[in-house]
Amino acid sequence: MDKLPLDGIRVADFTAVWAGSHITQWLGVMGAEVIKIESNLRPDLTRQVFRGMSDECPMSAVFAVLNYGKKGCVLNMTNPKARELAKELIKMSDIVAENFGGPVMDRWGLGYSELKKVKPDIIMYAGSGFGRTGPDRERPAFAGIIEAFSGICAANAYPDGEPLPMATRGYSDLAAAEHGVFAILAALYHRSRTGQGQYIDLSMTEVMASLLPESIMQYTMNGTVDAPRGNGDRLMAPHGCYRCRGDDEWVAIAVSTDEEWDALCGAMGNPEWAKDERFHSGLRRLENREELDRHIQEWTREQDHRQVAETLQKAGVIAGPSSKVEEVVEDAHLAHRGFFVDIDHPGVGALRLAGLPWKLSNVPPGAYSHAPLLGQDNDYVFRELLKLSDEEIARLEEEQVIY
Amino acid sequence: MSLQALSGLKVIEWSEFVSGPYCGKLLADLGADVVKVERPSLGDRARGYGPFPKGIPHPEKSGLFLYLNTNKLGVTLNVGCASGAEVLKGLIKQADVLVQNNPPRYLEELELDYEHLKNVSPRLVMTSIAPFGQTGPNRDNKSCNLTTFHTSGIAFVNPSDGVDDTEAKPPLQGPEHQAGLLAGLSAAIGTMSAVFAQQTTGQGQHVDLSEQEALASIARRELAVYAVEGMGWTRLKGSQPGMASDIYQCSDGRVYLICFHDRTWESWVEFMGNPEWAYNELFLDIATRRENWDAAKVMIEEFTKEHTVEEVLRATEARRIPCKPVNSAKQLVESELLAERDFFAEVGHKEAGNVVFPGAPFKLSETPWSVQRPAPLLGEHNEEVYCGRLGYTKQDLVRLRAAGVI
Repeated sequence: MDKLPLDGIRVADFTAVWAGSHITQWLGVMGAEVIKIESNLRPDLTRQVFRGMSDECPMSAVFAVLNYGKKGCVLNMTNPKARELAKELIKMSDIVAENFGGPVMDRWGLGYSELKKVKPDIIMYAGSGFGRTGPDRERPAFAGIIEAFSGICAANAYPDGEPLPMATRGYSDLAAAEHGVFAILAALYHRSRTGQGQYIDLSMTEVMASLLPESIMQYTMNGTVDAPRGNGDRLMAPHGCYRCRGDDEWVAIAVSTDEEWDALCGAMGNPEWAKDERFHSGLRRLENREELDRHIQEWTREQDHRQVAETLQKAGVIAGPSSKVEEVVEDAHLAHRGFFVDIDHPGVGALRLAGLPWKLSNVPPGAYSHAPLLGQDNDYVFRELLKLSDEEIARLEEEQVIY
Repeated sequence: MSLQALSGLKVIEWSEFVSGPYCGKLLADLGADVVKVERPSLGDRARGYGPFPKGIPHPEKSGLFLYLNTNKLGVTLNVGCASGAEVLKGLIKQADVLVQNNPPRYLEELELDYEHLKNVSPRLVMTSIAPFGQTGPNRDNKSCNLTTFHTSGIAFVNPSDGVDDTEAKPPLQGPEHQAGLLAGLSAAIGTMSAVFAQQTTGQGQHVDLSEQEALASIARRELAVYAVEGMGWTRLKGSQPGMASDIYQCSDGRVYLICFHDRTWESWVEFMGNPEWAYNELFLDIATRRENWDAAKVMIEEFTKEHTVEEVLRATEARRIPCKPVNSAKQLVESELLAERDFFAEVGHKEAGNVVFPGAPFKLSETPWSVQRPAPLLGEHNEEVYCGRLGYTKQDLVRLRAAGVI
């Protein structure tokens, strides 16, 4: 089969930054024609700020890894003529997506009730920090604030309990985006069977809360709040991250059964301390986890983190190196699976970026075109799709409508 | 029962613990017909995980299981024996989708891998979730939330602002079972994409999802920055520009506060009563503030420590400065915001009673999310499924039960 699963689906994409761009990027890679709409007045923030680590970065790594698989055009939406053109484009689309920090689409006359009039089966996705209804509907979303409010920071802590900012920039943005992709596909499925479109209102706060069922249910069932576990677990011990030799190198090890415990002891050379009755059962190991962790770290301390993991996996114990960013990018297993895709960027060359985390056996790998340059597909959008003449296009450019 | 978004989609979920069940839950909660296949007598491992009411373990009362298995029918089946495998194949012939998270090698031993099952049903979409996927040198490695976070690179950058002591504080896994949840989510997306292909071509296919990749996908910024700039990550606090934590201690809790940019800074300084230090040239414009933000944070926290969370929230709300409390699970459950959004679901369960858990994070205007039934008791729908759908008689069930098949 040559066609991608979303072949024939068009997306009018008003999303930006993390939480929006990642959604339409995945739709694009799965075969949808995604048209990202920006303007010279307001390009996607990640083109200029949050580009990468250093200001010397030749291009925005962040924009590149959130916007592949898309086309791009510019429309200056402060101009009413631009809004009319946007509406025309939406009429020809199946999905319209936005994640503005408030009811911007309504102000432009492009709210769901208006769009439904011109395209009755449109699927409209609206992503926000706290939902498009409720007391915080007009508040912009910041990932850190969402993570703090939703309880993730409180759960993301060492056993000392101090709440910590969650790993990676935009953790909650991306988790929300992927829930958004799922909701959109479900709505598409419904439309394919009934012809009915709909409006999807996704809240990042609620996404993060839905990823904390244990803490929430501990409270709703028992009225108590779980202490943060660090690298530990409710039931398993040992279950931790242990220092190895080398510069800040660590290995993660987890034991879920007596069988695995025996295998771990065997791999460590059956040391005397492990025979102590305090470590004889899962429950005893959990009670004495701190001492257990000290013993295990003595064993790992002078070894290579990858070697320890390999030895333990061979023995049937759950283990893995705590991989640094560069180790993940250079990981032989991930390379074998083709997780990273090499995408050529104009003027920069090939970039190795994270692709879809699954493989389909029967369709091509996906439409991994480079993230669009600002306005790169104006010609396609305005001439081919919207059938504007050269003169009209020139005039609209002059008037800074196509801008 | 009104029509839901995924009404008509028939799914067999032969999976346990978190990743496969969350994939199944996402589908079932939007109306797919999901039959969950569990081992006889023991059932899904999540039944033993908790949290439990009063902390007393009970296979029908585990919070994790009750959350992850809403809206599913549940049957028991020993797939490891030949007659059990035949029953599974019978179920698969009637289904659009099979979701499973068994170890790849185990599946091949049972001859229930995709190469075999596609002959049972060529139109089957089979979604296989495994810690490292179905191919590659690590495909048989075992994993759990801890090791998936660590091998995907996320743990090494957690917390995002680094730590003050890299020896005492190891790289940190993400909370609870988010590795499994995010993997299950990606699997549900991959599954739906294959369902669209199935709709157009009538052909099925194999969806091979790696949990490691699902998490590495979340670290896409850090991975891309390394690919573009060759810059890795060091964990010592302050070594990564622009990643300072915005959590501040107040007199009775903590807030997350963003007052770095020009407008919010000026407004915040005014709330602090225009202290002299804020007018030091170190903090006068955004560029110098960026350089000296650690020093500014110390001073800001001196101030917030003297105020309650409520006071800071009221002031920042009035000034449109982004700020929210750092909530515990208790505060989240009791929050007015989520109550107004009608987020939490309450469901009556035969054994566990009334249970309150997170609802859906998205609202679909025409096909609203709902809990039509609580998580199944172990084997609750054996008769409904085996007799009603596969045509077994009640005597057959007695025989299969005696033989340990169901």
